[in-house]
Amino acid sequence: MMAPVTRRGFLAGAVATGAAVTIRFPLIDPSAADAAAAWDPNAAITITPDSIVTVHITKAEMGQGVGTALAQIVAEELEADWKDVRVDYPVNDPKFGLMITGGSWSVNWTFDTLSRAGAAARLALIDAAAKSWGVSAADCAAERGVVRHLPTGRSLRYGEIVARMPITKTFTEDELKQIALKKPTDYRVVGQWIPRLDIPDKVNGKAKFGIDTFVPNMVYAKVAYPPVRDGARRTALDDSGAKRVKGYVATVAVPQLVAVVATSYEAAVKARDALKVGWDLGPNATVSSESIFAKFAQAKDDAGAAAWHEQGDVKKALGDAARRHEATFTTDYVAHMQMEPMNCVVRFADGVYDIYTGSQFQTFAVGTLAATLGVDASKIRIHQQYLGGGFGRRLEPDIMVEAALIAREVKRPVKLIRSREEDLRRDFYRSATLQVLKAGLDRDGKIVAWDNTLVASHPGKRWGPDFVDKKGLDQFALNGADHVYDIPNQIVRAVPVETGIPVGYVRAVAPNYTFFAVETFMDELAKLAGVDPLQYRLSMLGGAPRLARVLKLAADKTGWGSPLPANTGRGVACVSAQEKKTPTWTASVVQARVDPATGKVQVEKIVCAVDCGVVVNPDGARSQIEGSLLFGVSNALKEHGTIANGALAQSNFHDYQVLRMNEVPEVEVHIVPSTEYPTGLGEPGTTTVAPALSNAIFAATGARVRQVPLLPDRVLAALRARG
Amino acid sequence: MATLLINGKSRTLDVDPGTPLLWVIREHLQLTGTKFGCGVAQCGACTVHLDGQPVRSCQTTVAQAAGKKITTIEGLDPAGRHPVQLAWIAEQVPQCGYCQSGQIMAAAALLARNANPSDADIVDAMSGNICRCATYPRIKRAIKRAAQGVRS
Repeated sequence: MMAPVTRRGFLAGAVATGAAVTIRFPLIDPSAADAAAAWDPNAAITITPDSIVTVHITKAEMGQGVGTALAQIVAEELEADWKDVRVDYPVNDPKFGLMITGGSWSVNWTFDTLSRAGAAARLALIDAAAKSWGVSAADCAAERGVVRHLPTGRSLRYGEIVARMPITKTFTEDELKQIALKKPTDYRVVGQWIPRLDIPDKVNGKAKFGIDTFVPNMVYAKVAYPPVRDGARRTALDDSGAKRVKGYVATVAVPQLVAVVATSYEAAVKARDALKVGWDLGPNATVSSESIFAKFAQAKDDAGAAAWHEQGDVKKALGDAARRHEATFTTDYVAHMQMEPMNCVVRFADGVYDIYTGSQFQTFAVGTLAATLGVDASKIRIHQQYLGGGFGRRLEPDIMVEAALIAREVKRPVKLIRSREEDLRRDFYRSATLQVLKAGLDRDGKIVAWDNTLVASHPGKRWGPDFVDKKGLDQFALNGADHVYDIPNQIVRAVPVETGIPVGYVRAVAPNYTFFAVETFMDELAKLAGVDPLQYRLSMLGGAPRLARVLKLAADKTGWGSPLPANTGRGVACVSAQEKKTPTWTASVVQARVDPATGKVQVEKIVCAVDCGVVVNPDGARSQIEGSLLFGVSNALKEHGTIANGALAQSNFHDYQVLRMNEVPEVEVHIVPSTEYPTGLGEPGTTTVAPALSNAIFAATGARVRQVPLLPDRVLAALRARG
Repeated sequence: MATLLINGKSRTLDVDPGTPLLWVIREHLQLTGTKFGCGVAQCGACTVHLDGQPVRSCQTTVAQAAGKKITTIEGLDPAGRHPVQLAWIAEQVPQCGYCQSGQIMAAAALLARNANPSDADIVDAMSGNICRCATYPRIKRAIKRAAQGVRS
């Protein structure tokens, strides 16, 4: 059902250049900018005669405060008065370029572009005011939504200029690039403690999520999903029972799905439950976690495995090493479990599909929908709503495709809501993984060889050719394995494995499992070398001074090395997540207590230090780091997705457990002041928790746990193995 | 037919008495501040007050709610300025915000019966409400802040 995205190389290019300008804002034809009801200097900004500045946010608001942060960036250079700033989340349009929200990319990808969009609009407003006064623009300045002629003190509000004056100044791409932006020391909006714009409506019930959509004449749909996640084929359908349910409207049976439509949600549930559907369960009916890990264990020895990252001569260095160490790490499936179950409203009329939902990837959704429905992309309009959690789940357009197919058949607007059970069983999970790490140490304990074989399912293949490299590898399934430690000889071999269980991107993505292995293994090597794990890491971070700095900071703030009670330990981890080319330098020290009788682990405290460059919204940043760390605790301790009979074995929050308030540790966050170009904050913290916690368990007990989640029985087994 | 008293208004609806209150509130009455999260009383997103007591509306039938005073997030305070709501803004609690109506209703019920909750009281009262964004530290702080507002 999924069509490839038709913007070859876009992602790869953006990632390669780091602070890439990934969204262009073509300045509109000046003829369209005569005195009017509104002025759109570019695709990001609209200014109206009442001086209200609306910043059009093409990133999904899923709790990261992105609308506020991106508006701050624009307002800074526009010299807007913050009280006049509003945001909206526009319908998809090619003029917005790539519409994707993920990867902790939002600020990193847009900071420069939005700064220039704001600056260009400011310069155009100054130019228009100066012309109206017959003065030189050089004698004018803008501040808090007002242009002033400095010698005379004459002034015009932005709204007055928009309403009364032709605004004719435009910029070429080169001129845009040459605009002198403010120095960080001159920022007045960026870096300020500004309350988030979306919060007031999120405490009074007014915030509208996708599930809160109503359109006239709407009916409710429920899909009858097969018992296996993938590969089943429908063989029989009897809807006679469904037809007897009060409120039944129609049965929709198309090659992709079978659904029932009714006048209410509860009637749709009853009618769907009354359907009799026969299934050929297909090739995945017996797939289980056991069969998948057996397949992984076989795949790790694949002699033809491609090298994703390589430097030096690992084989020789390993052979020559004074000491060698090897360890195998595994991680289980992780589900998104965003609080808002997947849902979508679609109205199909006059050949146009109006789609109401929260999307993290409109570009992909439009391409997929257009291909599936056989219509031009211009016929797909995604009306963006707040996302009741994203975490990567809403990168996938599956729910939109289902709702659109049903709406097309029943010719009435359709609201499709998955139950939690359906949401969990139909998820695109973070892959289970198996990683084999080998290292060679010289006589001084220095690492001279590093060999990592990473077995996992790669989501990118399913998304299309843009998401894999020439070797067929998805970098988003591998990032982090190419750590920044100074080790002369390294190889990372990637072995993608298809399992019959579709995988996707879950918050913090590959660095969750790659850094778990890298940072736990690093601790093991420090032990082997007889060096303190903090000092051992620092000795290899000469090439990453900003990481060394946050590592020292986190350690200092926890009193690294000071005594702790029995069965209590501290562990450390430091990362260059999410991507080595655009890292947010992050280090955490986790303090945890282990009950040696039960293997139960209690996380007592996390101290995290972060250097992400310029911080746009300090409280929002802090909130993201806190949340990312606790998401990491949830992943590391509790989330144990297992496969049985071709589907996830868990069904709801009772058996797929996530962190609750009674398990929340003390969290302390330190953000390093910086004027470097900003990176992202939604995910890196998450990736530090599992390894730091595993290392804390080792420090507390001497037991090494190499399986995430760090379940009590695994801790007990490691305690026994310790002897 | 069922008659429900929601946020001070009497509403008569043509629904089966066994229908979960949640779907009536959300989809029939379009009071969408109350959220669907799990359907099995595991997450707390659907928390409303029934005669002042916090209940999971996904596991409460229309028949059980009939004759009782139902309060949703929309009816917690006429101006949306309940001390808990104000504290939630002051502490900038929500991230995605989806669970927060349920969190706020649970917190308001806690403070109504205990104006000075300890940390343990807060954890006890709130551990049935899941926040996948993990805003828990801020929820704790906001409840303490709101408690001052309730007492003063």
